[in-house]
Amino acid sequence: MDLNLARVDYMQVGLTSPRTMRLMPSPGGKSQQRVAVADHAGILQVFSMKRQDVTLAFKTLPGPEIRRLELGGALGTVKDKIFISAGNEIRGFTKKGKQFLSFETNLTETIQTASITGNDLLVAGQHVYNHYQDCQDMNYFLSEDKINDILALPGEKVSTLSPLLACQDRSIKMLRDSNVLYSAELPGPPTCLQLYYNDGGENGDEVLYGTSDGKLGLMKFDRKGPQTHWLIEREGAYGAILSMDNYDITGDGVRDLIVGRHDGNIEVYTYDDDINEDSEPTLKYTHVRTILERIGMRVHNENMIHNYRISLLQNCGESVNSIEGGVVGNAGYEEIVVTTYSGWCFGMTSESVEAHTGLQVEMASITDSTRERLGKLRSEIETLQLQVNYERDRYQSNATLDNPPSSISAIPKLDINDRFTLSQADASYNLSLEVQTSIDNVLLQSDVPVDLLDVEKNSAVVSYSACDPQSGNALLATYRCQANTTRLEIKIRTIEGQYGVLQVYITPRLQPKCCQVQQYQIKPLSLHMRTHKFDKNRPANVLHLKGQFTLAEMHNWVGFCLPEVPEKPPSGDVATFTFISTFLDTLLQISYSKGEATFKSDNISTISILKDFLTREATKKRINLMIDCDVNDESVTHTLRLLHPKLESQLLLAKQVAMIQPLKDLAAHEENLDFLSPEFQYILDNAEELENQFKRQPAQLERLYGMITDLFIDQHKFKGQNVKSKVGQLLDILDKYNLEALIEFFKTH
Amino acid sequence: MFVPVFTLNLNQKILPGRVAIGEFDGRHPCLAAATTAEKVFIHNPHRVKHANIGRMEANKNNQEMSFLNIQQRVTALATGKLKAVDSDEGDALVVGTPTNLLAYDVDKNADLFYKDVPDGVNVIAVGNIGDEDSKPLAIVGGNCSLQGFDHEGNDPFWTVTGDNVSALTLMDFNNNGRKELIVGSEDFEVRIFSQDEILTEITETEAVTALVPVQDGRFGYALANGTVGVYEKTTRWWRIKSKNSASAIFSYDLDGDGVKELITGWSNGKLDARNDRSGEVVFKDNFNHSIAGLVEGDYRLDGKMELIACGSEGEIRGYLPSNAEVRRGAMDMNMEQESLRELAQRKNTLLLELNNYAQNKRISVGGASNLGGVLPSARGMSTNDLGIIPAQTQLSTSLAINLGTDTRPPHVEVSLSTSNETVIRGILIFAEGIFEGECHVLHPKDPTTSIHVPIFPAKDIPIDLHIKAFVGHKGSQQFHVFELTRQLPRFSMYCRLLEPSSEPLPPSWVEFKINERSARVALWLNQNFLMGDDLEAPADGKLDISFSSLRKKDQELHFHMEADGTVRILCDNMDLCGDLIQSLAEYLAVDDLRSNCDFPIELKKLESLIESAEELQSVRQRLSAEMADNSGMIRTLIVRAEDSRLMLDMKTMKNWYTQLNDINRDMIAGYKIRCNNHQELMESLKKVNQIIQKAGKLRVGKSKANLVSESRNAIKENNVELLIKVIKTGDT
Repeated sequence: MDLNLARVDYMQVGLTSPRTMRLMPSPGGKSQQRVAVADHAGILQVFSMKRQDVTLAFKTLPGPEIRRLELGGALGTVKDKIFISAGNEIRGFTKKGKQFLSFETNLTETIQTASITGNDLLVAGQHVYNHYQDCQDMNYFLSEDKINDILALPGEKVSTLSPLLACQDRSIKMLRDSNVLYSAELPGPPTCLQLYYNDGGENGDEVLYGTSDGKLGLMKFDRKGPQTHWLIEREGAYGAILSMDNYDITGDGVRDLIVGRHDGNIEVYTYDDDINEDSEPTLKYTHVRTILERIGMRVHNENMIHNYRISLLQNCGESVNSIEGGVVGNAGYEEIVVTTYSGWCFGMTSESVEAHTGLQVEMASITDSTRERLGKLRSEIETLQLQVNYERDRYQSNATLDNPPSSISAIPKLDINDRFTLSQADASYNLSLEVQTSIDNVLLQSDVPVDLLDVEKNSAVVSYSACDPQSGNALLATYRCQANTTRLEIKIRTIEGQYGVLQVYITPRLQPKCCQVQQYQIKPLSLHMRTHKFDKNRPANVLHLKGQFTLAEMHNWVGFCLPEVPEKPPSGDVATFTFISTFLDTLLQISYSKGEATFKSDNISTISILKDFLTREATKKRINLMIDCDVNDESVTHTLRLLHPKLESQLLLAKQVAMIQPLKDLAAHEENLDFLSPEFQYILDNAEELENQFKRQPAQLERLYGMITDLFIDQHKFKGQNVKSKVGQLLDILDKYNLEALIEFFKTH
Repeated sequence: MFVPVFTLNLNQKILPGRVAIGEFDGRHPCLAAATTAEKVFIHNPHRVKHANIGRMEANKNNQEMSFLNIQQRVTALATGKLKAVDSDEGDALVVGTPTNLLAYDVDKNADLFYKDVPDGVNVIAVGNIGDEDSKPLAIVGGNCSLQGFDHEGNDPFWTVTGDNVSALTLMDFNNNGRKELIVGSEDFEVRIFSQDEILTEITETEAVTALVPVQDGRFGYALANGTVGVYEKTTRWWRIKSKNSASAIFSYDLDGDGVKELITGWSNGKLDARNDRSGEVVFKDNFNHSIAGLVEGDYRLDGKMELIACGSEGEIRGYLPSNAEVRRGAMDMNMEQESLRELAQRKNTLLLELNNYAQNKRISVGGASNLGGVLPSARGMSTNDLGIIPAQTQLSTSLAINLGTDTRPPHVEVSLSTSNETVIRGILIFAEGIFEGECHVLHPKDPTTSIHVPIFPAKDIPIDLHIKAFVGHKGSQQFHVFELTRQLPRFSMYCRLLEPSSEPLPPSWVEFKINERSARVALWLNQNFLMGDDLEAPADGKLDISFSSLRKKDQELHFHMEADGTVRILCDNMDLCGDLIQSLAEYLAVDDLRSNCDFPIELKKLESLIESAEELQSVRQRLSAEMADNSGMIRTLIVRAEDSRLMLDMKTMKNWYTQLNDINRDMIAGYKIRCNNHQELMESLKKVNQIIQKAGKLRVGKSKANLVSESRNAIKENNVELLIKVIKTGDT
């Protein structure tokens, strides 16, 4: 990390949506740029900084929530026109603040994303995409899955309009007019698209994407089809990517990749073009390949993998909704400009680092002006406080009994920025909650057993409360937050087969005290995620259903059972989805039509969970189901073999960790440790890393044992046998783990 | 930002809390710390010396390090002058183990003394109790006992305390120019001893793990649950709680403003300095490992005292107070930016609150015009979204005793109910010391208008219950939070018996006299028990009231007061009687109280405990003798076996080794017996100490201190009868 930037706050606007701040193009060189920012209050403002003071160029009146801000202009000219989307309307402003466009689209949904190139305007709601040319409706596309982002390849370099839709089903779809030209598969649901090097590379067809589980990749979209160039999956960086930019902040002549994440991380990736052993490349090609291969993808162009290193990693404690590199605070100093969810607009500047190494005089003036601002803020707060005290008393007096019983007290709902995502890396859920004011406490209540894992950066004090199963609680835990916590992250581990609802009660530190409930479904197959490839060579167990159900009904059940299923039933007669278990890597393929459904999986437990669930639901709705189960005994052995490497590495790790302390004691007594076997020396040398690894995944072995036990029980359940009494024997075998013995046990019992 | 003035890596594990610094030769500071493999290392960067005699063993790789083999688990470590303070003798190193105390002269490489400490050593503090010119002592906190040793190993100071001592420090608590002893123990108490008399007790919420003097009678404390705070006398200035635990606390003036801050080292490697009056963080740093200890010393020999922080993996960092220049620099700018942000956040919060009232008003006006009672759904927002409840909704609470059912033992019950049709979705009760965590949650399946929370306090201490209730409608998305605080009286787990009970009166009693009217005693009873109806002051000045315990069905408590002020409490629970007397004395501000008592059950136990302790002692001696015998045998057997081996007489060699194996097995068995024996011995000694402490609690002030020292004498003389007499009458 060789960058050292200091945070300077500019202003605070209302709550913002992702990508609602842009820097106006600079007239040239390193002169100061203006910032255009729009918020949920519907206000668009453009400001510049003059000696630490904000100078507003213009500010619009409040209106409906602004969801997106884009810059545009005729092809070949400077892109200095501001376009904002609010409701289903697109408005355009010149850089001076004159509104030149107010265009009501015919979208029935609120516009979520937009992209502009030349005269072409692309907008998308949740599922609908529309293309307008000079405000004339041109093309239309209805996506089954949620559209997360939209991007048009630059008109300067690509002659035909090429819109890309980032869809929730882990794909980027390339459109031609109103049809899908092709669809590119991704390792995660994309949340954000950005042109590579801001111009799409040589041919204008290279696009960076970020996913909701924190992966970052580059793909080329040419006529032939999509090509994966590289993919970064950094351990520990699992926050969804909301915004990206390419800007040379390190000053080496090559634009760096700047990334803003939902968990508050601001990252700068520097490309190292010449592959040099000394330049500390942290990403190895093999690593990428294993990730891709695991999900059944192929790397197209092996030598295009860039080496990169991280030159900045900073957390600002709030979701980073927009990020861009430029010059704002002071001419001549590059900086990264950020707006957060709660509307903070600040710069991460290279300036002050230089300032306090030498220029003391300038420093004094900085502190003077901040002091002035502090004083102004303080007096503002004092007046506000008086007003609040008065209103508070009035509110309190309302609560006395002399008031007519019809009088009510109602408190508007506070916006909560929440995410509940499955993290593929450790097969657990990440719940993040963010409020615009500080959180007092959070109560987690669940009617199914789930485990809460410790999150390192979380400072809240957690307390578990005893649960009475009769009252429908399997988990009651409170997080008491430290002062000034506006964001809370919680890691949750679910158990497949146990489904229910997780309820979260969030109490912000705001008078009159209120708390809000958020509900999250924990699905029966909660650890599965969508994928695109199904390996037909694996031995499969098949569950076949026939009965009086409609496609929509079946779709509903599937949606209740598995994550990442689109809300609306697909338009065709037959629907097919493929899933992969994030924990075991087993596959599941579902295809269904009216009156018929087939579920295929190499994991018998998955089929068993589905069968239980569907029978229960059908009985509830009084639908007669013909269930036909085809169990493949080979599949059990196959699953065990699939589990084997995981189990083995966990066992080895557990053994190594247990050895650390005795070896260290030995080391304390001996001066020369050469007599130790290489294995022990390795443990001693890597003790810390091993311990960390062990700590990161608590109870992983127990979790694997649980899966194997389930497998055993389910295998026999399909044969109509109850083998609960033999579980003890199975655990004995697991204690002295040996793959062949285990397979033998499964075969003979 | 602060930058350490030096960093070192000693590559030695350091056990948390067992780090000290001392000038063992009187001039050069050395760091001493307990490390793995039952050793203590001494890091002496200034004077290289090889001494391979005595206990010391120099490290051949690192000239600055030397090791002391303790051959027992090191439980505590301290340094300090044990001979007269003004002598130019160096500091002594005092090392505690579960059974012994070693005072060591590092410079001369010789023992000062090596003593058996049957109560074990949990913590050590070296210094003077009382006046400056009194003899310095090494004060050892063990299982319920405190013992002070001088440099010859005599123990002129001895007293007992309620539970295992877990933290100890010496400081001038009441600004009288004399040092008091502050003792933290596992029963959540902080006790302040002036000599052997208890000045004050402070009840905290968890086992006390560390205490440190700050300045002007303030001291910092840390608890096992991650709490850190500062007290001045018995008033708490502030406290904070973290999910990590504080592994070391210290006081040092890090920001150079002339006032010391409380420095805390955390188990996750964080180091922070907090203002001792406000708890505000003024400095932060991060270690890669848990912090094991914090000390202060002139480690660079430049005349400046550094704060030295030691990480558990041997990383050492030294810090100096920042000077004004540095402070005006980057720190200030960051601070200003931060306070700017904080103010903006406050402004934002105020604006949001104003918005809340404005919206409320707007919706209320709409609601009033809507006579049908149907609430408006303004702008598409449903009532559930807004969390609308009638303005006059109130939440009533009550505390009562519930005698329980077949499935649920008797308990204290907190009942909450709303005043109208609104329901209580859930309740959070934040209270310390009575729940598993700090918070108890009740979340019924179907919310109702009233809710009952059973509470089972394990100890007789007053508890503040901070209740947060979520009030709204069924299916609401937003609930109003009603926050209130109720205090649970100290003796809430005792239920008043209105009818005279059928049980025979308990044989144990304690009697004392107070010069107060019974009306005030009645007031005290009303405040400290859950009475239901308040007890009226009787006209004849006589009080007669009985309670039964909710924890133990058959345990009863009878409280009688005569018109002349004689109080007689009948109860088998000596501890409870003590608590009652202490609470009553505090309420009536009595500073000396004598009492007579008889607790036949407890005293019988005491006799048998002392008896068994004696037995265990003799068993232990016998076992030690056996062990010595065996070690002799082993030596012979090895020599013989090796002889046979050299003579290639494998058969005989095998024979000798078989015998050796047998002896080895015997010794392992013997070792296990000795361990158990030791455990039992510790247990009985602890119980004896506890009974003396309980007896002490039946008295107040001088009488209490007197009882403890008389009991000690009786134990020393091994006179059980005398001990029992002392406990009964409070005097010889």
